[in-house]
Amino acid sequence: MERAAKTYLGLILIFLYLPIVVMIAMAFNRSPLYEMPFTFDLVWFKALAYNQRLLQASWNSIWIACINAVTATTLGTLAAYAFARYEFRAKRLLQILLFPPITIPWLIIGTSMLIFFFWTGIGRGLHAILLGHVALSLPYVIVVVGARFANFGPQLEEAAASLGATPWQSFWRITVPVLLPGITAAALFAFAVSFDQFVISYFLAPPGTSTLPVEIYTSIRKGFTPEINAISSIIILFSMGLMLIVARNYKFGGDN
Amino acid sequence: MAFTRHTRTVLALTAPAYLWLTATVLLPLAAMFYFSFLTASPLGGKEVRFTLQHYADFFTKEIYWYNAWRSVELGLYVTAICLIVGYPAALGLAKYVKGRWREAIFLLIILPFWSNALVRTFSWTMVLREPFNILFSYPAIVIGLVHAYLPYAILTCYISLQAIDDSLIEAGRSLGATPAQTFRRITLPLSLPGVLAAIFLIFVPVIGSFMEPRILGGKDAIMLGPIIEGQFITAFNWPLGAALSFTMLGMVLLVLLVVMPFLNRQMARA
Amino acid sequence: MSRVDIQHVSKRYGAFAALDDVTIAFNDGEFFGLLGPSGSGKTTLLRSIAGFIAPDQGSILFDGEPVESVPVHRRAIGMVFQSYALFPHLTIEENIGFGLDVRSVPREDIRKRVAEMLSLVRLSGLAARYPKQLSGGQQQRVALARALITRPKVLLLDEPLGALDRRLRQEMQVELKDIQRESGVTAIFVTHDQEEALTLSDRIAIIDQGKLIQVDAPQTVYERPANIFAANFLGDANVFRGTPAKSGLKLADGTVIATLKPSTGAAIVRPEKLRVASGRKKSAGNSLTGEITQAIYSGASVTYRIHTKVLGDMPLLAFIQNQTGEVLDTGAAVTVSWDKEQTIPVEA
Repeated sequence: MERAAKTYLGLILIFLYLPIVVMIAMAFNRSPLYEMPFTFDLVWFKALAYNQRLLQASWNSIWIACINAVTATTLGTLAAYAFARYEFRAKRLLQILLFPPITIPWLIIGTSMLIFFFWTGIGRGLHAILLGHVALSLPYVIVVVGARFANFGPQLEEAAASLGATPWQSFWRITVPVLLPGITAAALFAFAVSFDQFVISYFLAPPGTSTLPVEIYTSIRKGFTPEINAISSIIILFSMGLMLIVARNYKFGGDN
Repeated sequence: MAFTRHTRTVLALTAPAYLWLTATVLLPLAAMFYFSFLTASPLGGKEVRFTLQHYADFFTKEIYWYNAWRSVELGLYVTAICLIVGYPAALGLAKYVKGRWREAIFLLIILPFWSNALVRTFSWTMVLREPFNILFSYPAIVIGLVHAYLPYAILTCYISLQAIDDSLIEAGRSLGATPAQTFRRITLPLSLPGVLAAIFLIFVPVIGSFMEPRILGGKDAIMLGPIIEGQFITAFNWPLGAALSFTMLGMVLLVLLVVMPFLNRQMARA
Repeated sequence: MSRVDIQHVSKRYGAFAALDDVTIAFNDGEFFGLLGPSGSGKTTLLRSIAGFIAPDQGSILFDGEPVESVPVHRRAIGMVFQSYALFPHLTIEENIGFGLDVRSVPREDIRKRVAEMLSLVRLSGLAARYPKQLSGGQQQRVALARALITRPKVLLLDEPLGALDRRLRQEMQVELKDIQRESGVTAIFVTHDQEEALTLSDRIAIIDQGKLIQVDAPQTVYERPANIFAANFLGDANVFRGTPAKSGLKLADGTVIATLKPSTGAAIVRPEKLRVASGRKKSAGNSLTGEITQAIYSGASVTYRIHTKVLGDMPLLAFIQNQTGEVLDTGAAVTVSWDKEQTIPVEA
């Protein structure tokens, strides 16, 4: 039975990874039309270095993802702390309010942001994209950091106080270090949410300014070049690597 | 101040995050709801009146309700395939594969799920051409979406399957149930919350998808998601787009209302 | 002067009284057990002494000084939590040294004191480990060392052995008692385990529904319980109810049993104080006749449940030392007898 299960799971993994592997292989193929035989070449990666639009978009994506990670992690950790350590009447309501950004299709969220930002004069642009990304990241941060909080009750802080630590000492020497794996995982998560986010950015990007996924989509729609292949390969390896780190981090944080 | 210190602390901690969410999610949804009743965008300078015309159009014009049905149909196909393929995988992973193998396979399954969705969709354009030759067709859309959401199905089913104590299954066997009976009477009912979660988590975003149909679907891409996108990006009929968005949101809530009671009952039992 | 004084302390949560006018004086150097069922208020009392809970009324004094306005971290307490609450990101050495470190004690001194504590709790050699890498019993000892290193005025222990299995718990009871005696610290611990309370405590307080029922040495609480609750909570008891009579207690059927002192309407006899003989023959002292309904043989002793007419549905419980190796049969007619001195009048 274990053999059969492993074989079946193996087939599923092939299905999941096949297109990714083909795409990466094609990024190294000299022919721009995916023609066989396969000839190894770095020509598309070299071409990337001269594609100003893609470079600028990459730069935008990285910046937004970084600012988003810091902002969302800070705001989310504060809220998670309130949920974990205080009882208040609106708690349930506030927790339910975390669902819309996760469960409503991004298409609807993105278009409503477009309408509202235009209407209020916030407009489109990188700042609008950042506003949207933080909103999408917040629920994840609150859940991830909250899970870490749930793993240790107030006893650790009480123990610190009973040993003579001031609230300040207790916060910096116990609360923060113990939460750190959760906060790190949340920050990496928020980075990934932003870096990979396409739908919201697509509606909020004005012509001429874009993030990497928006630029890739535009290129694909226009009839793409193998450079897109090369940059896509880089992105997918990067975001899988990032998630591998999160998974390890989160696991380290998750057991006790 | 009328607030106690406790209330002030809670406010200070939660206000930043929730003001942000209000300004970027809740108010925009309200604004879009308002827009959906307008004859034209109030930003264009034209005279604007209230109307129910856009919603009426949805139910009377074939292009909208037919393509909305196509989105629902796509959601049904993708959800069904994900569950049919994913549930056995989750069962195998939770009950038959052990130790380091389980950990490694689990990680490999969720890894692509967290990576860039656009790029993963794009990667299928290289596989589905020669010799399969089904790029730019309905099956291509289904394959791309199943690829995108299969890890969801496996993940949620796996979580509820591995929470089932093996001794329950052994107890079933010891009472004389065949393996098939044990599965049908014990394992399956206990894993139902995972299945329902998967239905919700897959069906909803698939109805709202537009990027996957656009990249993989060619002529077959026309359904509700891409139509809404078009109203905002090319046709610039925002009030109509808003009304269509809200109709879609209504469909999502409907699914939620159908799935939620089952989910709650299952949770309460567990 | 007592080390810790609790004076008329009350704490309410809505309509629920967690503590109801509790007054206890804890003496210097004693090992004091707070015993009660869950929800009785014993943990609330412990946490009030620590400073995590502020009582609604009454005062708490350390060495005669009121501490209501002193925050937890300046109360000079040591606390051992049920879950141990060891800091997962710090080594054993850092965990134990934490209390000194936050008081800015020089590193060298901390190192020396930690080494002393480690040898006191027999954990030398594990200094560099992390809490996760230790067994339950070892973690328990680290928690104890961590709480003791600051030489606290009072050591508070919340169900200190509750997370350990039975055998380890018995071992740790002896060790805990030794360490407390060696360090001379005043220790107050909360438990719902009667055996633990009897083994460890110099004095015991029985608490029920926020009220203090009895404070005494373990032997006194067991041999002379204040009321039926205390008698039932600490050990097993045969309870007789009736009306006060000249030389004892008059039961419903008119039988009078002699009691140690004049009774107010109830008396108890511990099951091990009973003698059981086959046949129905009245003997000197208190005696009742009945029929064995259950006999449980457990090696060193035999437990009988005996139906008597006067007690009806409530069987008499008797623990008999296994001196002959014989067990009376179920259904056998027996006479149960006991001494007047073992018949303790209690509040009903």
